[in-house]
Amino acid sequence: MQATKSFEQAFLKQMLLGIQLSAVSHGSGSLQERKSAIKLSADVAMAVARGSKKWTRGLIASLSKEEHNRSFLQFVLGKEFERPAKICHSSWKIPRSKNIVRRSLRFLSKRKSNIRAPNSSVLAGTLVEKRTQVLKRLVPGGQSMDAFSLLDETLDYATCLRAQVDVMQKLMTTLEASKHRADSDAQRPKEKFHLLAMVGSWYSTRKGLRKRLSKRPKLTL
Amino acid sequence: MSSRRARSRQSTSSSRITDEQINDLVSKLQAVLPEARLHGCLSMQVSAAKVLQETCNYIRSLHREVDDLSERLSELLATTEASSAQAAIIRSLLK
Repeated sequence: MQATKSFEQAFLKQMLLGIQLSAVSHGSGSLQERKSAIKLSADVAMAVARGSKKWTRGLIASLSKEEHNRSFLQFVLGKEFERPAKICHSSWKIPRSKNIVRRSLRFLSKRKSNIRAPNSSVLAGTLVEKRTQVLKRLVPGGQSMDAFSLLDETLDYATCLRAQVDVMQKLMTTLEASKHRADSDAQRPKEKFHLLAMVGSWYSTRKGLRKRLSKRPKLTL
Repeated sequence: MSSRRARSRQSTSSSRITDEQINDLVSKLQAVLPEARLHGCLSMQVSAAKVLQETCNYIRSLHREVDDLSERLSELLATTEASSAQAAIIRSLLK
């Protein structure tokens, strides 16, 4: 996966949407509730930002198995997330194409497993077999994958996870920094001025962002 | 031996290509792991089992990081005021 930057931006946007959604429903809940809501937002954001891969489908499928996740998933995914009862089994695509998808996947895995048999050079040995089983449990949707696609999906999944962690860390740093500034500027009566001042100081520290000034109208809250 | 040859005869060209592809994937996976950056990708012949094990450990540690970050984020969001949170969010979007 080469385009990490665009993935990170798409992930961030989805994540923030999810956070705001969960704040509405779980804002006054326990820490555990809020934590699972944030985690759900992060995972859904990652799957949505990546698009259609086996692991993203597997991830959405496993998330939708939990009853309390369904309303969130339905809201975020909209039309693509049909009646939950039918989805638990394979993919989260709309039911009428599910049979086609299932048939083609079965066909693909049959073909690939025939090819897999002679390739005893790289993936030989019971140790590899054991590790493959563990990996199948870690990567979402891994149970139904053959060795080749498992490796491919794992590579993709690992890079997306890394990006997810990086973006979440950056978000946290930003929130912590703004919190400290808010605490120290507690004397200022006008909140609007305070808001613009923070953003203004951020602008002045970044050079060559003239084009971004066009976004300022959005900030008058 | 003969059975293996018979099987490979069924898909000779595709099995050779797939073998290369598997090696390629394994080395790409190795490049993603954190330790690969330490060794400077010098080691060529790393066993697939080792790469798979390191990958499993890596994915598990990333899961733990996400879990930890979710907890800290939920704490932060609960205590941060609305206006400063909005400013931070807008700032992150413009990054």
